[in-house]
Amino acid sequence: MMLRGIWAIVVLDMKRFWLEKARLVAGLAQPLLYLFVLGKGIGASSQMGGADYQRFIFPGVLALSLLFTATFGAITIVFDRQVGFFKAVLVSPVPRAAIALGKISSGALQAALQGLVVLPFAPLAGLPLGLGETIALFGGIALASVTFSALGVAVAARFTSTTVFPIVSNAVLLPMFFLSGALYPLSGAPRWMQIAAHLDPVAYAVDLMRGALLDKFFFSPWLSLGVLAAVIALLTWLAVLVFRRGEDDSSLGATQFNWRR
Amino acid sequence: MPSASATPASAATPAVEVRGVVKRYGAVEALRGIDLTVNTGEMFALLGPNGAGKTTLFSILATLRAPTEGGARVLGHDVVAERDAVRRAMGIVFQEPAIEQRLSGRDNLLLMGLLYGLPTAAARRRADEILGQLGLAEAADRPAKTLSGGQRRKLELARALVTDPKILFLDEATLGLDVDARRGFWGHVRGLAAAGCTVFFTTHYMEEAEVADRIALIDQGRIVALDTPRALKARLGGGVIRLKTDDDTRARAWLVEKNFTPEAEAGAELMLLHADPAAVLPELLRHLPVKVLRAEVKEPSLEDVFLKLTGRKLAGDEAPAALGAGGAPGGGRGKGGRP
Ligand SMILES: Nc1ncnc2c1ncn2[C@@H]1O[C@H](COP(=O)(O)OP(=O)(O)OP(=O)(O)O)[C@@H](O)[C@H]1O
Ligand SMILES: [Mg+2]
Repeated sequence: MMLRGIWAIVVLDMKRFWLEKARLVAGLAQPLLYLFVLGKGIGASSQMGGADYQRFIFPGVLALSLLFTATFGAITIVFDRQVGFFKAVLVSPVPRAAIALGKISSGALQAALQGLVVLPFAPLAGLPLGLGETIALFGGIALASVTFSALGVAVAARFTSTTVFPIVSNAVLLPMFFLSGALYPLSGAPRWMQIAAHLDPVAYAVDLMRGALLDKFFFSPWLSLGVLAAVIALLTWLAVLVFRRGEDDSSLGATQFNWRR
Repeated sequence: MPSASATPASAATPAVEVRGVVKRYGAVEALRGIDLTVNTGEMFALLGPNGAGKTTLFSILATLRAPTEGGARVLGHDVVAERDAVRRAMGIVFQEPAIEQRLSGRDNLLLMGLLYGLPTAAARRRADEILGQLGLAEAADRPAKTLSGGQRRKLELARALVTDPKILFLDEATLGLDVDARRGFWGHVRGLAAAGCTVFFTTHYMEEAEVADRIALIDQGRIVALDTPRALKARLGGGVIRLKTDDDTRARAWLVEKNFTPEAEAGAELMLLHADPAAVLPELLRHLPVKVLRAEVKEPSLEDVFLKLTGRKLAGDEAPAALGAGGAPGGGRGKGGRP
């Protein structure tokens, strides 16, 4: 029932996602803006040189795209609570954990798809993709997508208001993005920013993808892999917990009804 | 806890058992001690005004909420301790829409099948089967939001039927539908009931309640009466006289003086219960000191019963008056047509 349930939730979300496939194109706007406007502009006046800077931020922009797509996918959880279909899901025998896992999977899938749409712009940013790099990058995209989706779901599961969640998520996402070293080299950043980056899962995801493309790492790749895996495990566990707790409002006591009486 | 509730559903097990259920939402006491039993294969109606607690009771039976006190079993399974078994066995049509409006009817049903653990091919087959049975086959590939209100409610029913439930909860399932669409809907539900499915429903349309084997009247979180429609109406004895006069206040005073007992709050009319209304009406018309504009004698309705028991009207003023003309099931029976 667990696997079937996850599958059902993924099919539901992907069917809905497919209705809005225009989002994949609209979702290009933000990364391309960073890449070709911000990247060009800053690159032209920095010591790094224009082409170098664009190349440098490409993995960061890719991470940005994954981060926002995955969190946007998680917003459906909040919307779902307000429309009826979710009620039908809740009275079905699908375990609550499967709902959480399904949501994480579908969010990750949507983010990864968006990543694949951004990827072809790499050569334009001065990064011709060889086979080896592409495969390594796919791995990075997959890992980053699952991390960000788990993050989105773990946070969204706590919210019931469609207006509050986007505000909160922006307040969390933007600092995570800016501190991640997506747009500047962490090695040259002030000490406190380096420390903050160590606490920021986005930083590890960016570093891993950048390493796959440019072979330059700030963290050891093994550390990044370990941290991301741990973050995924922790957030998934949190999300499952929140969905389970939502099972009912007064589970204690009520289970004890004695039918023998 | 695992004690008696482990028994499997059998013919002897009631479809629904509710024992001393209290539900509080903070300070609001939505249910104040409900006890009722619905037998297997029965069509059972729950009637009550807005806010009486009908949806709350259904949410508890459908495992969406837990009772604050007391317990409930559906087909022998405790709704809290054995949630999964209850979920597998029942289907529910919610008061609010519960289909994904952007997806097609077919996709909605396919997803329901998947949620209940059917493999994709089987879920697809089941969706087609139900769409066929409910006459929704042609409309099934459009986004659900483009369906008519009646088709959409039928799709809700289809959704609840995907897993072939042994018990069906219908919470105002036909709200807002016209007479034809409602008749089509209930035609299908009666077919299910005839095939052995227990149907537990709420409605605001009195003639829909008449098809029930038994009816529970609920008011402010309490069951005020539980019986067959016929027996409920027989509680009033005789029939109902409704009068509209040019001075209802004076007419009421006169009636009280002559030892009649007009009901306190029957809207813009006087309502009077009497053992033999047809015999007493001519006399009333002759002696009433006011001008009678309209007089009506009829068999008591469930509305009248509710009014008598609680002193309140059952449905709000939006209760459709024109529906009687539809030849409601069970309508023309009884002694209403006495010459
Ligand atoms: N989630 C909730 N929080 C607080 N109070 C609630 C909640 N749900 C219902 N209530 C209250 O509980 C009472 C019973 O509500 P319920 O929805 O069960 O009534 P109902 O009989 O279904 O009414 P209607 O005919 O309007 O559908 C009402 O007073 C309602 O305001
Ligand atoms: Mg209700």
